[in-house]
Amino acid sequence: MSTGNQVRIGPFEILQPIERVAPSLRERENENLPGRLFIVEGIDGSGKSTQLTLLHKWLESKGYGAVFSEWNSSPLVKDTTKLGKKKKMLTPATFSLIHATDFADRTEKSILPLLKAGAVVLCDRYIYTAFARDVARGIDRQWVRDLYDFAVTPTVAFYFRVPLETAIGRLVAARDGFKFYEAGLDLGLSDDPAESFRLFQGRILAEYERMIPEFGLTVIDATLPVEVQQAQVRQIAKTHLERAKELRVRP
Amino acid sequence: MRKTYGKTLPGMKLTDLAGKLIVVEGTDGAGRTTQINRLKPWLEELGHAVLDTGMTRSPLAGEGIRRAKEGNNLGRVTQSLFYATDFVDRLENEIVPALRAGFVVLTDRYIYSMMARAIVRGMDAEWIRKLFSVALVPDAVFYLRIRIDDLIPRVIFSRGFDYWESGMDVFPGKDMYESFRSYQSALLAEFDRLSVEFNFETVDASADADIVFAQLKAKVQRILEADSRKDFITTLRAPTPAPAAHRVEERAVFIPCAGTATETEAVFHPVAAHLTSPMGWDPNRQK
Repeated sequence: MSTGNQVRIGPFEILQPIERVAPSLRERENENLPGRLFIVEGIDGSGKSTQLTLLHKWLESKGYGAVFSEWNSSPLVKDTTKLGKKKKMLTPATFSLIHATDFADRTEKSILPLLKAGAVVLCDRYIYTAFARDVARGIDRQWVRDLYDFAVTPTVAFYFRVPLETAIGRLVAARDGFKFYEAGLDLGLSDDPAESFRLFQGRILAEYERMIPEFGLTVIDATLPVEVQQAQVRQIAKTHLERAKELRVRP
Repeated sequence: MRKTYGKTLPGMKLTDLAGKLIVVEGTDGAGRTTQINRLKPWLEELGHAVLDTGMTRSPLAGEGIRRAKEGNNLGRVTQSLFYATDFVDRLENEIVPALRAGFVVLTDRYIYSMMARAIVRGMDAEWIRKLFSVALVPDAVFYLRIRIDDLIPRVIFSRGFDYWESGMDVFPGKDMYESFRSYQSALLAEFDRLSVEFNFETVDASADADIVFAQLKAKVQRILEADSRKDFITTLRAPTPAPAAHRVEERAVFIPCAGTATETEAVFHPVAAHLTSPMGWDPNRQK
């Protein structure tokens, strides 16, 4: 848009804006950060957290400075999310936005500075979780992708692919009952929490499948034995660590 | 049918939002709140149900934002998204239901303040527009514009300089006065640009509050006169005539206010037709 000096609004001249004080979001120097960002994705019960923990142990044993950043863990935003969930105040839109706020705080305060400092950052769930869940809740696919435009592109995004029934089988064995939003009960798919969970996770799974080619997710067959999966994960991580020049070592 | 700036939130129906959405925008200290506090009782006297709302007033995120700002510990992306959460909570749970019930919604700031703040902080202008593309296009945006030199005495002799209003997060090296000047000037420049793009009606807010109020009343009146519901109300009234007393009151709402309407012409000029908005809606949208 061009606003020349001659443009007037009523009796006022238009002031020219001061020069930008900070770089624009879109100026991506992120791709060349010295650190490495490994993230894991997958539906609940896919075993992704187990795999990330094992990767962390291995990184530590190799002497790398590895730091976790959990989904939904910003101290600044936590109370608001908790309030919204507890009182069931969240709509699909505010659910999406409050999680984006949480992620933004973690990106600004931890993920980005750590990567600049040359750390290995490990994220259990990343923007793809938001894309899958929010679209499953009816949010516009492009809008939510644009929303997370500020996110650092991961070095590797591991996607632990598992059939719905396998994941549900693991979860039913592990816990009793599902939480309101976790089961997608806000969508009114079914009054039965277990059935609602099944339907909601099915939608999420479909979104993940669509994202594999879109974002080049690295697919790991999560039906394989834990050890086999971990060997694959370490092999892939290793090639990226070897290529890095300025990684921090553990103090 | 109402429009948004491009995207529609899930479950939001844009039909039958018969009320009026009136935005009062302007930099800090321009007198927005004062004017809304006068417009509300005036509209109610005319028989309109009024909802007044504003930034950080959502039950969901208002308190969280206030707490976050206390710590001076809020990054610029986080800030934009936290405010967006607050806005959407109010949009879905207050503004849209009120419009559906035929209320006049007076909002103290809207998406434009959030856009200006983000852009001044160096954020991508396109990103912030996409974020707020889910907002409803209001019936009018009244931009209370005040020059920086008129603003400074108001701030000094009322509440004093505040960390965020002075943009201390943007200019950490400067003292509060210098930072305030730079930050508010930058905001003002950005508001001016937005006013072209989004077709604001500019009001000189350095004038006496009574004069500003008179101008705003005339502008609001014109919006209410141009009410698309007039036909709807007539057809509703036709089969079952309302009691006489009630009808008098209802008619009072639509009495034109010819005298003041012409005065306001001097203040607002439609913008140049060649300026097109990047998001593709018509910047010369005229009621």
